[in-house]
Amino acid sequence: MPELSGTQNYTVEFNDFTMTGNSDSENDSSTIYGPHLAEMRRILREVVDEITSVRAALKDEFGQDPVDHCLARIKSDESMREKLRRKGLAETADNALFEIKDAIGVRIVCSFLNDVYTIRDRIEALSDIVVTEEKDYIRHSKSNGYRSDHLIVRVRGKYFVEMQLRTISMDTWAALEHQMRYKKKRTDNDTLIRAELKRCADELASTDVSMQTIRDMIMMDL
Amino acid sequence: MKILLAEDTRDMNRAISTILTLEKYDVESVFDGAEALERLKKDSFDGIILDIMMPKMDGLQVLKAIRSSGILTPVLLLTAKAEIDDRVTGLDAGADDYLTKPFAMKELLARVRSMTRRHTEYSGRELKYGDIVLNAANFELAGINSVRLSIKEFELMQTLMLNAERPLDTRYILEHVWANEPEARPDTVWLYISYLKGKLRSVDSRLSIEGERGGSFRLIKA
Repeated sequence: MPELSGTQNYTVEFNDFTMTGNSDSENDSSTIYGPHLAEMRRILREVVDEITSVRAALKDEFGQDPVDHCLARIKSDESMREKLRRKGLAETADNALFEIKDAIGVRIVCSFLNDVYTIRDRIEALSDIVVTEEKDYIRHSKSNGYRSDHLIVRVRGKYFVEMQLRTISMDTWAALEHQMRYKKKRTDNDTLIRAELKRCADELASTDVSMQTIRDMIMMDL
Repeated sequence: MKILLAEDTRDMNRAISTILTLEKYDVESVFDGAEALERLKKDSFDGIILDIMMPKMDGLQVLKAIRSSGILTPVLLLTAKAEIDDRVTGLDAGADDYLTKPFAMKELLARVRSMTRRHTEYSGRELKYGDIVLNAANFELAGINSVRLSIKEFELMQTLMLNAERPLDTRYILEHVWANEPEARPDTVWLYISYLKGKLRSVDSRLSIEGERGGSFRLIKA
């Protein structure tokens, strides 16, 4: 979901929840999504509401909202077309919605490691959302050091939503890695930067575990 | 410093044991190879003095058995003057040093000091156990994923790996990993054990550490 930090996207914030979308596609059906766009927006809003109530329920139970912040977006027309081309798929609404599964995307960023899995379990338990796929890049990180838990869920048996669940430190890392990826000039430093990013990812992952352990110890002593 | 002394000649055993005890070593003596192996499987030592000619199991057989089970504790072999082949075989089988009988006690002490000092040089290597590789050059703990450990976590992990499958009590761990750090307490050990348990899970290892707060801990293949 790299276009989440794209600059042409408009952003609507409510509480700490951010939704982004393309302003020029607000009211027309000229995008690749065609007539589906309005429905996709409703789905996005619905999923966001579901997550908001999961958070509220957890706050009631444990006295703390496990989520630091959430982002939600519909993949911009431009990046969707680019992705379809990259995958050798025709630029049709069907392909954009059912072959590519991240047209609708939600990112949930938690403070602590175990919160990520708590949220994951609560999402899995929701009745109108079906998890069709999980890729746990926390336990099995990508070779560059990327970590997040990815869920593909299906809403109302039709639309796919990609959910990215991660900790704040994984989120910070991903933001920096994104900057490197889109850096304009290739230089001799690129190899060094990649190696150092990988090292940071492994140090942050280690610190996430330590913080969780300390937190468990604090809870035990309460 | 804990030394295991395996020497079947009673007078020689008593003489070495006495002088090492005077030098503040914690000595445990055994009188045959089978007994030595038994002790080495159950407990952890900082150095081993092995006579080659012993009943039941000779020193070379003991050496081969412990090295093949992954015990890297430094070994000083005691050999008779005529046994050149034994010395060669011994060094090839993983002995760190040898001393030819008869020897001066002064020399024995110097070799024991040198041998136990060398123990810390394991920090120059890569240690492997089960599905885990611990890299001393960059403190990386690698399974399917990798994380970077802190210095104390690294030293504790190294100690557990060098003594895999054998229980180490909290006091032993404090004396070896937190030597000269009076502020370290049994709960410090417990916290660091907890960190490592979490970190082994985070690299998706099948190794685990068993043991209770304040008790003995053992790295095991689950």
